[in-house]
Amino acid sequence: MIEIIEASKTFNAGRTNQFIAVDKVSCKIGRGEVTILKGPSGSGKTTLLTLIGCMARPTSGRILLHGIGKECLIGLGAEDSVEITSLPERLLTGIRRSAFGFIFQHFNLIHGISVLENVMLPAYPIGDCMPEVRRRALELLETFGISRHAAARIEQLSGGEMQRVAIARALINDPVMIIADEPTAHLDSKLSGEFMELFAGFKALGKSVLIASHDPIVYDAPLADAVIEMRDGRIIGAGTRP
Amino acid sequence: MILHPAILALLTGALLTCLMMLYAGWYGVRILRSWDLQSGSELQLELEKRTYLISTLVSYALAFELISLFLFIFTADRLHLLFTGAMCAAGTLNANGFGYPLLLLKIVNFLLAGVWLIVNHADNMGHDYPLIRIKYTGLIATAPLSLYEVYYLYRYFSELHVDVITSCCGSLFSLERPGISGDLASLPSTPMRIAFYAVMAATLICGAYFYRKGRGGYLFSALGCTAFVVAIASIVSFISLYIYELPTHHCPFDILQKEYGYIGYPLYASLFGAVVAGLGVGVLTPFRSRGSMSQVIPAFARRLTAITLILYLLFTLIVSYKIVFSSFRLGS
Repeated sequence: MIEIIEASKTFNAGRTNQFIAVDKVSCKIGRGEVTILKGPSGSGKTTLLTLIGCMARPTSGRILLHGIGKECLIGLGAEDSVEITSLPERLLTGIRRSAFGFIFQHFNLIHGISVLENVMLPAYPIGDCMPEVRRRALELLETFGISRHAAARIEQLSGGEMQRVAIARALINDPVMIIADEPTAHLDSKLSGEFMELFAGFKALGKSVLIASHDPIVYDAPLADAVIEMRDGRIIGAGTRP
Repeated sequence: MILHPAILALLTGALLTCLMMLYAGWYGVRILRSWDLQSGSELQLELEKRTYLISTLVSYALAFELISLFLFIFTADRLHLLFTGAMCAAGTLNANGFGYPLLLLKIVNFLLAGVWLIVNHADNMGHDYPLIRIKYTGLIATAPLSLYEVYYLYRYFSELHVDVITSCCGSLFSLERPGISGDLASLPSTPMRIAFYAVMAATLICGAYFYRKGRGGYLFSALGCTAFVVAIASIVSFISLYIYELPTHHCPFDILQKEYGYIGYPLYASLFGAVVAGLGVGVLTPFRSRGSMSQVIPAFARRLTAITLILYLLFTLIVSYKIVFSSFRLGS
């Protein structure tokens, strides 16, 4: 479980263009659940995702990981939680790599290299042996029905295929949580529906899923366990579904 | 002032180190006053982020402090040609009243810098800032010494005048000379040899025990410090005699010269490295069960112990080699 306590993120603090992207947000994200951050553009969803995913640090507040990322730190007991906001970058990197898989709005796939290499990329710093990483990557491409494109370059793929590559890449290190930022923004309704089906599969595997979206296909989907509604950097509503 | 490149490097380096230490000291006061890891306040998070920047910068500054001791000695040795009567660094340091106090200050700062770097390294291995207050208290305490060093360096080098007639090391470290140098030179060689090998053996045995069992850290650290003092005294008392192969030449600086194969550099480097690592064991031992340090310090202290043992062993082997293979023999 992830616990966010009074987290705030201010950009350009103290300057005339100061902007509070996340304002004293407190919430809990359950393990093995699908949680949706819902809200219009500029509501702070993406910033909150980056704070939870160890890609940025809050200006104030704390974020606790219960049962996640402990293996990256020494000296933690079975009941201890990991407080990520006080960790230096070198420790955050380990947690980010092993605990979270990211699917970005614009996919952020690397052009000029193959689909297979894109999927394998996040595993390089982990240090696993390459044949094993390659086997895992091919298995994921097979799972998502794009193994025939393994040798193809990214720029040769359609939007839907690129998204599947992005999902495969997010899963290469077998993360505890998958974080997706506006994953359906560039997909039509059919592909968006297929995407949600894939996420239902992740939930069935016991993975936690955190999605930021203002697409009704996502936040009205029956697989969502909790929906947190944001506006102007604050939580204006949160609810769980049976 | 003599505009020698090494002097300018030493002054500039010391000034930068001092500025860094003063800034870190000021920041350390903020840490000591406001640090609260339980709080998620903006100030606390700002302190957490900045502490990594500060400790990285200070680490570089203190690493320079370590190197600068040897650069200082090297410079003093090279400058002796400018002074009438000087034969090595001993004469240059004696050219005015700031030389030897400065050398002592630099040795103290070397030891403090080394210990701080060890504490900082241990702290950075933990994730919960277990030694943060110790670290910054140390920086606050060390910052004035850094300032003193700049002052003494400036006064020493600015008052070095080439028309000064100074004393040679043969005079400074002679048996008749009153003061510490004369006292060290006149220490009886046989008891000193026994004391040297006894303290080295005790340190090695105690270190090996601590390495294997993890017990006796304080004793090992104390023995490491004692070994350092005894070794320095031994260099002046009898080791130098075997290196120079002269019964009356006790200078601890001539061994840094080419004529003696620069043997002083490995001797002093191993000695100073060993004492810093040994001190580190003693300083870290009280915190071996604090938070994440319970997983860090035992393994780290073992590594430090191994370093101390290897360096003292190296020192002893070099000394023994010179004693055994020197054509010079001291009477009993």
